[in-house]
Amino acid sequence: MLKAILNALRYVLNFDWLAGVSMGAAKNVFLVLFVLIGILVLLIPNDFIYNGVEKRRWWLNLKLWALGDLAFIFITYYIF
Amino acid sequence: MLGGLDYVVVIAYLIGIMLLGFYFKRYVHSSEDYFLAGKSLPFWAIGMSIVVSDIGAQDFVGVSGQAYRYGIAVGNFDWIGSVPAMLLGAFIFIPYFWKAGLYTIPEYLGRRYNDYVRTIASATWIIFFAFNLGVVFWASAKLLNTLMGWPFWQSIIITASVVGVYTFFGGLAAVVLTDVIQLVVMFAGGALIVVLGLYRVGGWDGLVDKITTQGHSFSDYFRLIQPADTKTPFPWTGILFGLTFVMANAYMIGNQAIVQRCLAAKSEWDAKASMVLGAFLKMFIPVLVLFPGLIAIVLYPDLKDGDNAFPLLVKELLPAGWGLMGLMFAALLAGLMSSIDSMLNSTATLWTKDIYEKYIRKDAPDRHYLIVGRMATIVLLIFGVITSPVSQYFAGIYVAIQTFLSFFQGPVFSVLMLGIFWRGTTQWGGLFGLLGGITVSALLYIFKGYLFQIEDPFLYVSWWSFLAGLVIAIVVSLFTRPHPDERLYGLVYRLAEPKPNTAQVRA
Repeated sequence: MLKAILNALRYVLNFDWLAGVSMGAAKNVFLVLFVLIGILVLLIPNDFIYNGVEKRRWWLNLKLWALGDLAFIFITYYIF
Repeated sequence: MLGGLDYVVVIAYLIGIMLLGFYFKRYVHSSEDYFLAGKSLPFWAIGMSIVVSDIGAQDFVGVSGQAYRYGIAVGNFDWIGSVPAMLLGAFIFIPYFWKAGLYTIPEYLGRRYNDYVRTIASATWIIFFAFNLGVVFWASAKLLNTLMGWPFWQSIIITASVVGVYTFFGGLAAVVLTDVIQLVVMFAGGALIVVLGLYRVGGWDGLVDKITTQGHSFSDYFRLIQPADTKTPFPWTGILFGLTFVMANAYMIGNQAIVQRCLAAKSEWDAKASMVLGAFLKMFIPVLVLFPGLIAIVLYPDLKDGDNAFPLLVKELLPAGWGLMGLMFAALLAGLMSSIDSMLNSTATLWTKDIYEKYIRKDAPDRHYLIVGRMATIVLLIFGVITSPVSQYFAGIYVAIQTFLSFFQGPVFSVLMLGIFWRGTTQWGGLFGLLGGITVSALLYIFKGYLFQIEDPFLYVSWWSFLAGLVIAIVVSLFTRPHPDERLYGLVYRLAEPKPNTAQVRA
């Protein structure tokens, strides 16, 4: 009984239930995550982004900066 | 060994940094000046400081050692282990922290939950930083010993003396603005060794060819995503759940040493921009700290301890006496000092604001707290020096640091996240979530040999302890009474103080 519980615990804790996921699918999970974050960034209201700026300029738009970051990391994970 | 011009470079660097840090003494008149640089810092300085504080000399040694053993998968810590978390911090957490006028993250937890949560979180960070100081000191001593043959204690005491002087006098402004110089020096030195190393092994193609002809498969060393059943500490499941969802966020959002800089920004926009810039700069770090490990696989295929890879590479690639070895040496010192000064200043802030001012002496003149902060800096420095030999009992320095972190990070992040996103989280939910999560973390770590299959399950431990903290906090919150909305204004996402209506204004 105790052994069965321990085995079940190991199965859950070690993510054995995800062992069947292929490496290609796992990589896609990461890539989709970056895209999802990018979409969320785009949804942020501009008023919030520019809070604290005296004069709004397009290059002070932090959404663009964040999308640049995400593009960089997306390419890195796509290649490797 | 250093020689000739190398000594000139190193000595000029040390004196320059000390003088620059000491210069900021003139701007320190209050505790806010000392702990938050008078809320005057621009985004670029904070962004650069965040990066260099997070990456130290120990990463040159530890990460290249890990890359030597496991390949580029260790780069996950600086890529996916930083960028998403820093964006989350920039757009969700940091603006709330900055507007609330906080000094520390536990202060937020105290306002959001209660003083017990604040004290536990603060004490946890103080203990972590204090012991981490020892790890960082030992890593540097190991490096200086291998490179120059300096005795361990001599290295530690020289480093501690230089950092101690400017951190003691200049406070956060000195820490951040010396960090800007440290980053430039660190990037220059790191790039030097990578360029020379790649040239020696025939460029990127040569590196890949030579590693694969040694019998390793390409996927062993050049894949960021490792299988779930890998024996390395970096299975993709751990990277996704443990690192991306928990440890990265906990480190970038709940880490006093990182967030304190953003709290010192001169505007809300600067606070947010500093994190976004930091995320960009952070993506270059693996090139500096990871590539030397890969290059060393080609040049020294039979090393027993991967942590020796980087020092050996420096010795072989850089000529002594021409200043290049000095520049590399200065880069390592830059990484080392920027980590130590951050930990010192942050721990002094936590101690002064969350413990001393709260429990030992309330309502003292501001000057008193400034003195307490400075004294705490010195005491911590001495503690770090004395405890540094403990870290030698861990096989890999980098894994040792992450193991310490995983113990506490998950539970702390769970209550931080619930606190900002769910107004229904009660003070008791927060307290029991934190304590329960830490208990689960400790149990998983103690019984890791029976429960986990991978070599070092710190990523899994952080995920499961986070989940435990989350569940416990939610369950307890459902049975206890939350704070009234008036107390939570400005502390919970999208819960702003209602604007008075026109009739009230006229009245």
